[in-house]
Formats: sequence, C-alpha cells, structure tokens
Amino acid sequence: MEEQVGIAWHKLINRLATRRYPDESVALSDISTPVGILFRALGGDHGVAIQAGGSILNHAKRSLLERLAGSERKVELAWVDHQALQLPAVIDSFPTQRLNNELYLWLAALSATSLPPQQTWLARNQNATRLIIQRFPGMAAIYRRLVAAEILRRGPTSRLPPDEAQQEQAIRDALHEPGSISVLPHARRAHQPILLWLRPDILTSASLPPQKNQDQASRESSTTQSDKKRRMAEYTEMPERKGGLLLFRPESIFSWSEYAKIEHEAQENEDEDLAQAADDLDTISITRDSRNIAKKLSMSLDLPKAASALPPLNDGKMLPEWDYKTRTLKPDQCRVNTIPLTDVEPCALPEHLKRDQQRLKRQFGALQPVRQRLKGQPDGNDIDIDAYIRHISHQNETENRFYIDHRNRERDLSCLLLADLSLSTEAWVGDNQRVIDVIRESLFLFAETLTTTLDQFALYGFSSKQRTDVRVHTLKAFDEPYSDIVRGRINGISSAYYTRMGAAIRHATEILARQKTRERLLLLLTDGKPNDADHYEGRYGIEDTRKALIEARQQGLRPFCVTVDQEAHEYLPHIFGKSNFIIIRKPSELPARLPLLYALITR
Amino acid sequence: MPITAIAQNLKAPKVFPSYAPADDEVMIFEHAYRNCLPVLIKGPTGCGKTRFVEYMAARLGLALHTVSCHDDLSASDLVGRHLVNASGTYWTDGPLTRAVRHGGICYLDEVVEARKDTTVVLHALSDDRRILPIDRTGEVLEAPPEFMLVVSYNPGYQHLLKGLKPSTRQRFISLAFGFPEPAREIDIVITETGVDHTIAKHLVTLANALRSTANHDLEEAPGTRLIVDAAKLIATGCPPQTACRAAIVECLSDEPEITKALMVVVNAIFAHS
Repeated sequence: MEEQVGIAWHKLINRLATRRYPDESVALSDISTPVGILFRALGGDHGVAIQAGGSILNHAKRSLLERLAGSERKVELAWVDHQALQLPAVIDSFPTQRLNNELYLWLAALSATSLPPQQTWLARNQNATRLIIQRFPGMAAIYRRLVAAEILRRGPTSRLPPDEAQQEQAIRDALHEPGSISVLPHARRAHQPILLWLRPDILTSASLPPQKNQDQASRESSTTQSDKKRRMAEYTEMPERKGGLLLFRPESIFSWSEYAKIEHEAQENEDEDLAQAADDLDTISITRDSRNIAKKLSMSLDLPKAASALPPLNDGKMLPEWDYKTRTLKPDQCRVNTIPLTDVEPCALPEHLKRDQQRLKRQFGALQPVRQRLKGQPDGNDIDIDAYIRHISHQNETENRFYIDHRNRERDLSCLLLADLSLSTEAWVGDNQRVIDVIRESLFLFAETLTTTLDQFALYGFSSKQRTDVRVHTLKAFDEPYSDIVRGRINGISSAYYTRMGAAIRHATEILARQKTRERLLLLLTDGKPNDADHYEGRYGIEDTRKALIEARQQGLRPFCVTVDQEAHEYLPHIFGKSNFIIIRKPSELPARLPLLYALITR
Repeated sequence: MPITAIAQNLKAPKVFPSYAPADDEVMIFEHAYRNCLPVLIKGPTGCGKTRFVEYMAARLGLALHTVSCHDDLSASDLVGRHLVNASGTYWTDGPLTRAVRHGGICYLDEVVEARKDTTVVLHALSDDRRILPIDRTGEVLEAPPEFMLVVSYNPGYQHLLKGLKPSTRQRFISLAFGFPEPAREIDIVITETGVDHTIAKHLVTLANALRSTANHDLEEAPGTRLIVDAAKLIATGCPPQTACRAAIVECLSDEPEITKALMVVVNAIFAHS
C-alpha cells in the first residue's frame, strides 16, 4: 500500500516539480505587511502572527512525504490557528509573479474568514470562498484569475483514471462554483493538493466514503465520531512550541489517511494496526478515537500542561493571570518575590559613561520645570508695554495682545522603568557587549537623565522561574534618592531564567499607581517576547501581557515598550498598540537613545 | 409637555442638517435639554459628534456656538476679555458668555485639548447653579433655560494625561458614540453624497475592514467623515481606487509601506474595472 502511494506521490510530486516557476516566485518576507494588514482587515485575529509555514510543514510532513514520495518537495498549503497564520515561504506555482502574489492575498483573505469550526474541510473552504467573493469584489476578481491558473496547473482530467477524473472534476466544480460540491467522489488515489484552499485540518466526513456518510444505520457511530472530532479540535488549540522543534499537528494524520486511503472505520479500534501505522509515521502517533493514545501523544510531544490544571498559590504576594482561551482572569496564579538587593557595593558612575552623562545633563536641563514669561498674550497678569507701544505707533486696530502671561511649564511626571533580566539578555550584540551590558548602561544613563529633569522615577528588574517565582529586583524605589548604592545595584544586575512579563507588569502597575503625579509612565525595556518554562509562552504569554497592560491603562498609567528584538513588530503592535513601542535596530545604541526617547514620549 | 412639543414650540430652523440616529441619543439629548443638564459626547474621530450637535441645535431651534478646543485655549477665550481701541478698553464676550447671555448651545469640541483652567470655568455652569461668574467685569450671569452646554472628546487619543477630571465628567449626561452600523452608514454615505448603493456599500465595507486593523497597523480607525469624503470624490467622477487612496488611505498613515498595504485592502474591495 505504502509503496503504491509512494509511487503515486513520486509521480505527482515530480509532475508538480516541473510546474514551478522560480523566476516568477514571490517570497512571503517581501509582502508580509500587506498580507498581514489584509488578514486583519478582513477579520483575522490581531494576535495571530504571520509566519512562513514552509519549514513547519516540512517538519510536520516531511517524513511522511519523503516516505511516500521519496522526495524532498514540500506541498505548502496555508494554515491558520490561534498562534499563527502559516503561509508558504515562497510561492512559485503560477507562471506570473502577479498570480503568485495574488495567491498570498487570497490565502490571507481565506484565513481571515471565520466560520463555525464544525464544518468539514470541503465545506469550510467553499463557504469561506463564497463569503469573500460576495463581500469583496476585488478579491472575487483575484479569485477568478487564480482558479483559471490553478485549473491550468492541475492539468487535463482526460489522462486520469475514471474515478480520479470524477473526483478531480468535482474539485474543479467546487473551485468554479464554491458551495456546489458537498461530498467529493471517492477515488482510489488522492487528489492533488488544492493550492487555493487551506490545509485540511481534522478528519472530516468529506474524506469518508459517501456511502458511510449517508448511512442512516450508523447514526450512533457518527454521533460518537462528532464527539471525538471536537476533542481533537480542542487539542489543536494547545499552545505549541515555537521554532523548528518537532511540530506535530493532528491534522497530519489526515494527510496520511487522505493520501493512503486506509479504511479508518475498520482500523481505528485495532491497537496493533495503530501501533504499526504509528511506527511507519516516525514520531507521529495519533488516532481519531482512543483517549489512551491521545494521552501518550501529549507526553511524547511534551506539549505544555494545560493552564487550568494549576492550582492557585496561596502564600506570598499573589498576582492573577489572564487565560485568553477561557477569557478569565485567574486569581493567585503567580507568586512575586521582591528582591531588595541590600548588600551591594556602592559604586560611582562608570568612567566611560561620564561623557554621556555630561551631554545628557546639558540636553535635559531644558526640560527642568521653569516658569515661563510669555509676551504678547491676549491675557495675562502684566501689561506688555512693548506690544502696546507698537500698537499705538502703528495704529493697528486689530492687534490686541498686550499682556504678559506667566506660565509654569510643569512636568508632573513619574516614571517606572522595568528592565527584562531574563537569561536571553546574555546574548552578545557586538564584539564585547551582551544585551545585559547594554541594559545596564541604559539604566545608568536613564537614571542620570531623570535626575536632571527632576522627574520622579523608580527602576526595577525582573525575571521568572515559572509562576511560583517571579522575581522583581528593586534597583531604585520611588522614595529612594539616586545614590551610589543605587548605582551599585545597577552595576550588579545579572540575567537569569525567563520573562513572565504579565506578572512583572502587574506588580509594577501596583507600585506606579500609588504615585500621585498627573502623568505616570511605565517603561518596559526588553529583548524578546513573554515566555516562561511552563504554559506561559506563545499566544498565552502575549495575551496575558496585553491584558496586564490594559489593566495598567485603566489605572491611568501609560505603558511604553523599548525593545531590541528585531522580530518584535510581529507581536508588539498587538500587545502595546501601534504607537506605544519602539524597536531599537542597533542594541548598542540603546543607552544613548533611551533618554532621547524618554524626552520624546514625555514631551 | 412631551419632548416633541418642545421641538415644535421653538422656531423651525432654516436648513436641517441630515442626521441618522443610531439609537436613542436624540431622545436623551432632548430630555437633558428639558432638565437643563449639560451633555458630554464621547466617540472616535469622524463618527458624527459635531453633526449630531448641529442637528440637535436645529431640531431644538437653538443657536449653536461651537468652540474647537486646542491646547492654548484659555478660560478667557471662552468667557471674553477686555480689548483696547483708541478710546480705551472695552469688554467683548467670549462664545460661552454669548451663549449664556442670549441662550443657545455652547459646544466645546475636543474639550480635553483645552488648558486645564478652562474646564474649571465650566463647573459652576454645569451643576444646578447654572451660573457663569465673570471675574474681570464682576458680573455673575445666570443661564436661561435655553442655554445648554455640550462638550465632546475622543477617548481614543492617548495623550499623556489628557482625560477629563472625574469632577468635570460627573457633571454631564454622557452619550457614547461609535461608528454607525453598516446599514446606517451606507444610508449616511448615500444621503451625504448621492453615490449609488453599491459604491456606498463597498466604502462601508472598506471602512470596517480598516477599522479592524486599528491599534495594530493604524493609530486610529477611519471615521465616517473619511468615507463620505471619498464618496464625494467618486460622485464627481473620480475613480474609486484613486478616491480611496486620496481621501482615506493617505489620511490614515504616512508610512509608505503601510499605505501600500492599505491599498491592497482597497483593491480587495474595489475590483479594477
């Protein structure tokens, strides 16, 4: 069986291979901005990152494809879940760049269209297509061009055996008239992948032989089936590890079943066969039913533990955490340990920063609160004699600004700077500097600046080791003077563990909210996205951080993020909002730029 | 006396500004007017706050004194000041004083933009005293029943500490405005510009698509005003894509990469002819 499929695949893949147009290729990296905006504009979730799915697909399917087709060729189909919209890294399937470009746009639009999850793969793609065509005439025009190109790419049906030709014809009908095909005719071999559609996800009734689908007698079994389907759908929502590690999706088994056309109904209760099949599929082991297997899978894949399984903590200072899946703020999920840093060696400002210090003192002296005397005002406490004489001498009736007004250019502002001290800051950013060194220098110069402007400020650092140990280091509290002891603490910062950003922000919010100034700025200095060594990563960490910032804003604070993570544009707009963060392209410039940035945002 | 009767008793306005009510805001406003209560309207840019006030002024037959607030607007810009001419000094009323003296609606647009001392002037006017003390002249004006104070602001602007003080806020009857429902917005676009239904529908679809990228890709969502402007250009023969670029896309962002991407959204909605 496998060999047959392999040969089929080999042929198919080879056929595909000859139909690529590398000269006309379009890379996702070149059009990720329009794709992202289109995705969000047509209703896509803001928290979903746009990613090249090529490598991921490769990991998920490579063994399978290699095994079946003996080829390294990937079939890259788009896919969206709670974490990311995965699109092919490069599209070169169509003969013109414009068409390849439009395929990206089409896939983004298709992924953005939300439909009830219970629909089958076949129905969902057709219904989403129909919706888009109805609502967006521009996309409809694109779609018509793409369908024509796709059908050309798929080749003539005349060469196919009757059953495949019938199936292929149904696919073409579905492309031409979305919504017209409810069941694909069964064929011995799998059809070519449909580039215009999203990847099949869970096992769907569309792939079952039609006679079984319509069999009234098997109603009982079909109800249990739908129940299982739901369970698997939930399973796909589990946060996944990012990066190139093993990335398994339960839908892969669909590919297997789809292409191999094994009789699932007969096989699914036979553990031996399952084990056999699982072995064949290398690391992949799953079935549509059987809780046992699913449990085994969750262990072998080292998927993060469900957040709901964690009991609340009950000692120490507790903070809540936001679970975006249940949309609840779970109380007492994190324990914050404040580390006062008492026994430090006091130290002076490091010599190499003295010149910067002098410069900043000059630059920022202007921001000191001063009383200003404004001449030629329409109102004021004193008379502007000059203006009056000018008026008399010119006989200019319209000029009537004869007053001098005194105004306080006040800065009633407090700022809390929260620095990320996770282990990732150990990374080197030049020949002789790590991120942590850059952060240390930034803290020094920032403190010097704010001492000049007389704004109230506090400095904190944070790291975390799972939810039981969120460490907040007090470098300088609001009521402390900026002294050699504080400098000693800044000098002594070191990196450790992870970045549980939400908890640190909530803690900082509590401190800053107690300040009585009119303006309160929460400045976050970081080098990456929120993560921790448990379920706190990916979308979960991002959503929790976002929630923590919404809470901070509700308390009247203004959060702002300064990051050196070059990939931050993928997630910071969602967390902080479009205009509340900045990415420093050269980390080594951070110490010099931070004070200027501060001046800009508090102007 | 029923609310409608008030409107009928007052003299009918010459030109009625068109306004499509979203909900019960017209009724609330009339009740507030009847009870001599000031009104605060909050909502994003271009969602129809000013038009609503114009409409209500016309409906109630009141004069409308509009002040667009800016960060240099002081209390005496509202109340009035002494001016000098050849014969000496003389007093001129500001728009607020004028409205209090002669009746009518004083509308302070984007009130949070004004200097802090400005809002304090409003306090005695906006509670049950309804008086306007003028320090410079020693007058204390009592507001007639035909005087109404209306302020508006945009909560979306994230100014460092530009919000209304709770003590100011809690004196007002508050109306929250959002963008109109698609069907209503289509009607608005058609009424304002006379474009055909298809164009109006596409423009509204575009506006809502762009609104869903706000805060992530855009600083602020496009208001109804922007699509009305685009529709006006289309109505006089400008090609839709060009109109959308000039009236909507370029108004929303200055970054070439973003405007280019926004045009992709425009092209997703308007098919090239």
